[in-house]
Amino acid sequence: MNSMFPIESETAKKVWDNFDRELIHKLKLLPKEDKTDIRLEILSHLYDSMMNLSEGQTDPLNSQSEEIRLINAISNLGSPDEYLEPLVADILLYQKASKGHPSAILRGLQNSAKKGMMHALATLVLGMGYFWVIMIFIMSVMHLANPDIGIWYYPTGEVSLSFEAQPGANQWLPEWFSLVGVMASAIGYWGLSKILSYFIARIND
Amino acid sequence: MESDKIIERWVPQFRKGLLEFIILLRLQQSSSYGYELAMQIKDVTTIEVAEGTLYPLLNRLKRDGLVISEWQTAEVGSPRKYYQITPLGLETLTKMKNTWTETHNSILNLVMQS
Repeated sequence: MNSMFPIESETAKKVWDNFDRELIHKLKLLPKEDKTDIRLEILSHLYDSMMNLSEGQTDPLNSQSEEIRLINAISNLGSPDEYLEPLVADILLYQKASKGHPSAILRGLQNSAKKGMMHALATLVLGMGYFWVIMIFIMSVMHLANPDIGIWYYPTGEVSLSFEAQPGANQWLPEWFSLVGVMASAIGYWGLSKILSYFIARIND
Repeated sequence: MESDKIIERWVPQFRKGLLEFIILLRLQQSSSYGYELAMQIKDVTTIEVAEGTLYPLLNRLKRDGLVISEWQTAEVGSPRKYYQITPLGLETLTKMKNTWTETHNSILNLVMQS
């Protein structure tokens, strides 16, 4: 990446490389594409700032040494923790939640619940959704060992999720419950995660 | 002083909301890249902000679909990531302007009365 940002002074090169190493370290949790994109954008900013160039200008506007201009540029950017941490956290949370990562889901739900009545209500609905999806999944797996576990319906129309046979009730899809349950819970989990990531995208931390 | 502490907490929140508005206003005029935006914000406002803090805001605007970005390689200088406002961004900006005008007028009235 150094060829994109030609620096002449050896001291400035060392400062630049140190800053770049810190960038790489702080962005290491991100997927490769995001990491490269953010790193290049920050380095590009740094180079423009160091050269003090605006569009159409070709010469540095001052006569300070390259290393001094670079140090000033790094200082003007601010602490990397101040701008990279929220950026990385935001991207990771969004990506992990949309992929159904449990810790991101929990954090997303917590953040959402703090954002007022409508968000709290949505969090409750989503939380219940996750509860039932996980419940159905567990029951579907347990059904393989104990065929009585499943959904039972009564002639009166009542439906019951049960871990044991229900007298006077018929079991719903006794032979297919495991397959249908696992598939339905997987689709449900994916759908809920998409809805949650939509909410996360609209939460201003 | 107690009021200084309160202002210390209030200013970053105020600034953050304002910066998103200013970025969209600037992008309405033409597409721009991070460093140029930072310089323009410094030029036209008295807001002192670390240049890097623009990037989480730009990322959020992009994720919300208010701006899009594209890398461009200049003949002179480094490659730059240009941001451009989207139709949704323009629609949102119009609403932001209305909110800003209403809020500004209301607050101005309150300030004048105090």
